[in-house]
Amino acid sequence: MSKAALALLSVVALLLVVQIIDRWREPAQLQAVMQASERSASAQERMLQELKAMRHELARRSATASTDAAVEPLSPADKRDDKRDGKPRLGANFLLPYDRTHVHPAWFGGTIREFNVTPKGFNPIVENSADANEALGLVNDSLCTSHPATPQLWSESLAESVVVSDDWKTYTFRLRPGVMWQRPNCAKQKEFAWLDRDVPLTSADFAFYVEMVQNPEVECPQLKSYYDDLERIETPDDRTIVLHWKKKVFTSMSFSFGMSPLPRHIYAFSRDGSPIAAKAIGTVFNKHWFDDLGGIAGVGGYTLDVNESDKLVRFRRNPTYWGATYHFDAMEWDAEVKLPDPQLVAFKNGQVHSLTLQPAQWKSQIVDGGESRFARPDPKDPKAGRTGELGWEKVKGNSYSYIGWNLRRAIFADKRTRQALACAMPKQRLIDEIWFGLGRPQIGPVHLDNPYFNSEIKDFAYDPTRAKALLSESGWRDSDNDGWLDREIDGKRVPLRITLKFLANRPTWEAGLLVYRDELKRLGVDLRTETYEWKEMLRIYEEKDFDAVVGGWQLGSLEPDFVQVWNSASADEPRSSNHVGFRNARVDELSLRLRESFEPETRMPIIKEIQAIIFEDQPYLFFMSTGSVFVWQNRGAPAKDRWLAGVAEGLDAYHPLFNRSPLLWHFVRE
Amino acid sequence: MWSYAFRRLLWMIPTFLGILVINFAVLRMQGLSLTDTIASGMGKGDGERKAESASQAIETWLGRFHRTGNDLPALINLRGFTTSDGVRGRLLAAERGPQVDEAQRSRAELEDLWLQGPLLVEPLLAVLKDDGAARLHGPASMALSLCAYRPLLPEDAYLLAPAEQDRIRVRNERLKQLRIAYRNDREQGFITADPEAARKRDALIALLHADAFEFSRSSRRWSAIVSETGFVDFAHRLFTGRLYSETRKALAFDVIAERWSVTAWLNLLSILIAWAVSIPLGVWSARRAGSFADRAVTGLLFSLWSIPSFFVATVLLHHFCTQDASGAAWFPNRGLSSPDSLWLSTPAYLADLAWHAALPLFCLTYGSFTSLSRYLRANVQEQLASDYVRSARAKGVSEDVVVWNHATRNSMVTMITLGAGLLAELFGGFVFVEYVFSIPGLGMLTLEAAKQMDAPLMMAATVVSVGLLLVGILIADLLYAVADPRIRSRYV
Repeated sequence: MSKAALALLSVVALLLVVQIIDRWREPAQLQAVMQASERSASAQERMLQELKAMRHELARRSATASTDAAVEPLSPADKRDDKRDGKPRLGANFLLPYDRTHVHPAWFGGTIREFNVTPKGFNPIVENSADANEALGLVNDSLCTSHPATPQLWSESLAESVVVSDDWKTYTFRLRPGVMWQRPNCAKQKEFAWLDRDVPLTSADFAFYVEMVQNPEVECPQLKSYYDDLERIETPDDRTIVLHWKKKVFTSMSFSFGMSPLPRHIYAFSRDGSPIAAKAIGTVFNKHWFDDLGGIAGVGGYTLDVNESDKLVRFRRNPTYWGATYHFDAMEWDAEVKLPDPQLVAFKNGQVHSLTLQPAQWKSQIVDGGESRFARPDPKDPKAGRTGELGWEKVKGNSYSYIGWNLRRAIFADKRTRQALACAMPKQRLIDEIWFGLGRPQIGPVHLDNPYFNSEIKDFAYDPTRAKALLSESGWRDSDNDGWLDREIDGKRVPLRITLKFLANRPTWEAGLLVYRDELKRLGVDLRTETYEWKEMLRIYEEKDFDAVVGGWQLGSLEPDFVQVWNSASADEPRSSNHVGFRNARVDELSLRLRESFEPETRMPIIKEIQAIIFEDQPYLFFMSTGSVFVWQNRGAPAKDRWLAGVAEGLDAYHPLFNRSPLLWHFVRE
Repeated sequence: MWSYAFRRLLWMIPTFLGILVINFAVLRMQGLSLTDTIASGMGKGDGERKAESASQAIETWLGRFHRTGNDLPALINLRGFTTSDGVRGRLLAAERGPQVDEAQRSRAELEDLWLQGPLLVEPLLAVLKDDGAARLHGPASMALSLCAYRPLLPEDAYLLAPAEQDRIRVRNERLKQLRIAYRNDREQGFITADPEAARKRDALIALLHADAFEFSRSSRRWSAIVSETGFVDFAHRLFTGRLYSETRKALAFDVIAERWSVTAWLNLLSILIAWAVSIPLGVWSARRAGSFADRAVTGLLFSLWSIPSFFVATVLLHHFCTQDASGAAWFPNRGLSSPDSLWLSTPAYLADLAWHAALPLFCLTYGSFTSLSRYLRANVQEQLASDYVRSARAKGVSEDVVVWNHATRNSMVTMITLGAGLLAELFGGFVFVEYVFSIPGLGMLTLEAAKQMDAPLMMAATVVSVGLLLVGILIADLLYAVADPRIRSRYV
């Protein structure tokens, strides 16, 4: 075959391939066109519905306003009380009025995009992942709420009033009238036409939630244990909910206020719209058709628009929402980019509006100036990062890490030994040099920014001389001159040798422990480290198979509870959270008393005393309260909606014990 | 030729099954056991609540594991052969005492007895009937109530008659009520702490007697060895296409259907590129063997080969995919096409695809340039020194024809063999490249499934990867026959 023929044949083959690919793309294009037209049709229909609902809502509001003075209170719960300061108390409605002050209609607009994962499901009871809870927080509301800046004060949300009675055992809520359930996405399909209707929120939706949580066949062990104490829920009418708790326990308060409704008109029905038999509902609920469709329905400010596994989750504003939403028309979770480095590049390329940096990224990009669009850190000005083209700010985390000493081991029997080990740890140096300053030394088991934190406690400063003295006071000497301390325990010479176990692939801890080991070596303490995979670490914690172990706790709530981690009764229980085996009768007594105390004034001294006892006893070497670096698109970027404003105010109002809330964020308009 | 192909095809079946069994076993060893899951589920409450809700939660977890076949032993089920003495021994091992290791005890109690399913009902019942073992009646009744517990699956609501569902539900409830309360005392071991112990015991025996046929082991203990195992359950779901991914709320193969093609065509392209670069490079080097240029190329290739691909990928991502102040970058940082690529003309679409795939393909292929081209270089060199090449040259055949038509062609057998191995290597490398360049392919899906402990999806992805690999090897085998007449002639 001649070269010319060969070339001709190649060209023909290439054209053929292009032609084949062209034909192959056609169905996808056709499908996209169909989908777009369907979307626009349903959007039009939705707008009409929403317009109707808004008109209805406006009419209702003006009617309420004109007759407000004339209407008699519907129940004792509705009686207005001047002392609505948000602080829980008995016998009167204390809820703050619903706060709409942060909303500026002029700021409405735009789509904010962040990295997140696509939740594996949205069932509010069966699913227990952080991302599912985040989605539910956007889509659904709870009875009462609290502002991130004042987390201890409760305000109205779905409930207009609450009266607590019967020595904190009965909670009577009065629901806001006229709240409507969102129509789920599937209601547009012919098969689910029975869902395409307006359904008002009623007390039955809350009763249904409790019924499902307490149903023995429903898979939610994480919730069941808390609602075990709920004796019954009563719904005398559509707007009244009465919760009767079996005993007076502090935690039942937040579970009452934070309860969300479950859409009974969806979950109590089969796919074809027929009711599910009462007996079968428990098993069917675990794998409900609505969850298989990836559906979510709530009464909140956003509704689920798109849910594509591992790609994108999109929420759009619910225009018929009764309350105050964020300023964004839509919120998107980008789930395609998974690793920290590709996420950083995508952030720099403007594909998401904000991100949290890893310590190593913070060092390379900002401290070492690897990315010029970030402002350089200024030791004098913690807010220096706000000015760059890409903004950054250090934020405090809500967890802490520690080294736990196994108190069942004889070598740790004397608390002076544990105090000595604390004095030998150069915490601040390690935080500065290995964690690049992203963290603060932790003191005791309560978050440093919690109002209940006992600031009178002084941390054990890094002091090798004091450490040496404490060790010698507790009887440790180098009696055989081998360079390591030892002591006689039960007639045997025991060296002070500690095997510390921690999670593998934690380079920061590996480096930090290397330094600590050297410090201890100088004192004659033999610290040996071993790393394990996660599953093995779980076993080590559960079976208490360690001398010392690195651990961490997430501090999710403002109100500390010490029973789970510090109760003597759980010291010997397998799989308990008290894996170090801490026992202290006074702490037991105080922590149980704390559970029955509801007023901050009585809780404060109890919590402070518990902290002081635990800190003095040093069952943990409390190491570091975590921190991170939050970055966002600031200004000067080409695309208009990349100007994210209000972040600075948001950071000023941010409390580390609560999730960062984009309440004040909005896009700058040109 | 056909008999050769057929023989190769037949060999794929045991290979496929072998890989499946090994993968399944490894997965089961790695995954959380029922005990772990129950323990982590129980860890959510605080101290006293956990203890209260522990036994209640176990039924919940049993249901979840039953749905995925994880309540069965992985490969061999010998539960039907446990004698009542064996059960008694295990109960005693779970007894508390001054010398007993707590962790061992709880494992013995949970793993060995509570979760063994209906095959253990008979021996447990024998212990319960034994008047001499009164101390063990409490724990035996607890274990019985869980072994005889039958979780109702959502599909049972449609598959079973309502009366049958009711019967199971009532029995499950009765089983729970008939547990004889007991304490496991630190000093004295098991102590029955139930005033109604005798009544409950009789009622429990009567209840399970009524369903004796359902729990009878004689008819099923032998067949259960193989049929009631996690692997058979998995294989049944696999071959009926019912592997269900809990994390995606979809059938596993439906999830994979969207992903596998990306991985397959990128793999195919990688091999073609690897060959297209390595063959000329190998021949070029062979012709200049020992020269400075040859040594420089060899050095360069080996240094490339020694840099891990995920590292190169990350470096490339930071340096070529990050936009500068004007918003421009050499290459895109994610995906395989631009968001609006569907509406581009086909040539523009292909160009967009090439632009997106350039760096991922480079990262996938550069490692194989070294091995392929160096092998070819050695082979061609050997061929060039052989007698038939000397004869050809002596005949006056041009040097190009000698090298390409004779020496290179005869070296291709090695290349084909290496090509099949390359495919396996690519599947490994692909996971990282997909992650770094955010390409939603099979590798990323497999790792995500592993992270989320989605065993059915992981196994389905493994099945597809192994399937693709075996097809690749088959193609290599067939090409082998095409290239080497000796193989062909053996089967004709």
